[in-house]
Amino acid sequence: MFAYVLRRLLATIPVIVIVALFVFSLLYIAPGDPAAVIAGDQASPEDVEKIRKSLGLDRPFVARFYEWGSRILVGDLGTSMFTGLPVTQLIAQRLEPTLSLMIVTLLLAISVAVPMGVLAAWKNGTWIDRLVMGFAVIGFSVPVFVVGYVLAYTFALELDWLPVQGYTSIKQGFWPWLENLILPAIALGFVYIALIARITRAAMLEVLSQDYIRMARAKGLGQRSILFLHALKNAAIPIVTVIGIGIALLIGGAVVTESVFAIPGLGRLTVDAILRRDYPVIQGIVLMFSFVYVLVNLLIDLLYTLLDPRIRY
Amino acid sequence: MTAAATLKPAAAGGLAIAAPLDDILPPVKPRKGLWGLVRKYPTMAIGLFLLALMVISAVFAPWLWTLDPTAIATAKRTRPPGADNWFGTDMLGRDIYSRVIYGTRVSLIVGFSVAVLASLAGLFIGLCSGFIRSVDAVVMRVMDGLMSIPPILLAIALMALTRGSVGNVIMAITIAEIPRVARLVRGVVLSVREQPYVDAAITTGTSTPMIILRHILPNTLAPLTVQATYICASAMITEAILSFIGAGTPPIIPSWGNIMADGRALWQVKPFVVFFPAIFLSVTVLAVNLVGDGLRDALDPRSAKNV
Repeated sequence: MFAYVLRRLLATIPVIVIVALFVFSLLYIAPGDPAAVIAGDQASPEDVEKIRKSLGLDRPFVARFYEWGSRILVGDLGTSMFTGLPVTQLIAQRLEPTLSLMIVTLLLAISVAVPMGVLAAWKNGTWIDRLVMGFAVIGFSVPVFVVGYVLAYTFALELDWLPVQGYTSIKQGFWPWLENLILPAIALGFVYIALIARITRAAMLEVLSQDYIRMARAKGLGQRSILFLHALKNAAIPIVTVIGIGIALLIGGAVVTESVFAIPGLGRLTVDAILRRDYPVIQGIVLMFSFVYVLVNLLIDLLYTLLDPRIRY
Repeated sequence: MTAAATLKPAAAGGLAIAAPLDDILPPVKPRKGLWGLVRKYPTMAIGLFLLALMVISAVFAPWLWTLDPTAIATAKRTRPPGADNWFGTDMLGRDIYSRVIYGTRVSLIVGFSVAVLASLAGLFIGLCSGFIRSVDAVVMRVMDGLMSIPPILLAIALMALTRGSVGNVIMAITIAEIPRVARLVRGVVLSVREQPYVDAAITTGTSTPMIILRHILPNTLAPLTVQATYICASAMITEAILSFIGAGTPPIIPSWGNIMADGRALWQVKPFVVFFPAIFLSVTVLAVNLVGDGLRDALDPRSAKNV
């Protein structure tokens, strides 16, 4: 087991190196002259030259990557071109709202989607099943900001149940914090719920057709214990896998959700950085989120052994 | 005798699994013609119908009672929907109906181009990777790395480095979508190359390009078509998101994401600016997804029941 964990950890290193290498080489593979694009249309040739220097585009690729990479290893993501502050500091300032939004979304999505998928598989072929599957198609089709606006308009502007926009730190109390996150979490979780529900249903259908389920039924077990104790446990691996993969959707969606609901998190930082063409900040955010994504999926890989004792390494 | 006769075409069609009982019973006479197809694949029919409407509005945009979508008229800013401006006007007095109809063009072009380009590139990479062992190890590690970057963030990073244009949006989204296609194609190649008929082809001295062309490629087409449809849908959403946050199509071009970005500051008082492009975007993506689901059911009947 320990050897397996170690091997998996080591196997992640090349992936992380490739991610870093790729994010770094974007500056070189982007068509046109990135320095000129970042400087903007009104920039003088001297300005462009200055930006080229600050991005290191005047030096050889390998030397520059080595330097950049070794600074990342000690936790230095570079400096913002607009504010002059370290990117790590900017990220740290904006971390709490985004982290809160993601955790609330994750909990909400899992607690809604898994029962939905189980129900659809149990009632396979009935109108409940069709309703869930119909919801899944709509969930994949309606973009996150559209859901966000519809929710904000209905539940905040018209019904006035929840705040329209903004964010309150959890330090100011649990309910004010949660109140501001409910609508954004539903909007952000919409497609994620559709995805998890669909996979849960498929995995459950597969398991429910197996002999030991018939056996469990024959010995008179109740429906609930068959579904949740016997079937769901064995359907867990694809479900957990898709929860991990779907986090990419959450990360991408958070950028937009934060814009719609005016949440001052990493998504806002990204959007501000785009408008100011502050490339080091964008690079830092992409890199950080990718690392998080890789690590989450590594953890899920390691979780397999706990979920299914038959898997031994 | 009759049972054997009905079974034969199924076996020739490549289905290796035992024929279900229904095949042995006398077949129900299939309905013919367009209506029969609509009855057989209702979701695909609805999807194609909606998509056809969108294609019509994209192609015939100038003749669909539209005004100049970029004409600024400060005297009639943010008018609610009415007889003159069916969907109202935005904060610069531009007619939202015209902008939304013209915006169909951007979405369809981006969706279609990304689907085609990502499929072709992914097909090429997947075929090479599945067939050439030395390429496989390197290419798949690179694809793993690429897949670890959330697609929207990857597109944002690329757009931050290039000038906003429809072409660059297409390129950025395509790069983000390639690894998934390559993975899919590689999977098909790896499973097909173990088939006896491929072994037989190798033994009889068929050249590798010929094997790929004759035996491997046809097997990738069905899953690839389905995947391309879903890529088209997700590319449309990504384009709208990029434009919405200011990293996509240049603001001067009417695209649904841009119209919504224009309405963002005012949406609490003038929700209609955001509402109409949102509806068009959602319906179009839904149409493409329905076509994708229909294609999946039609091309891969075995998986259709479960997912």
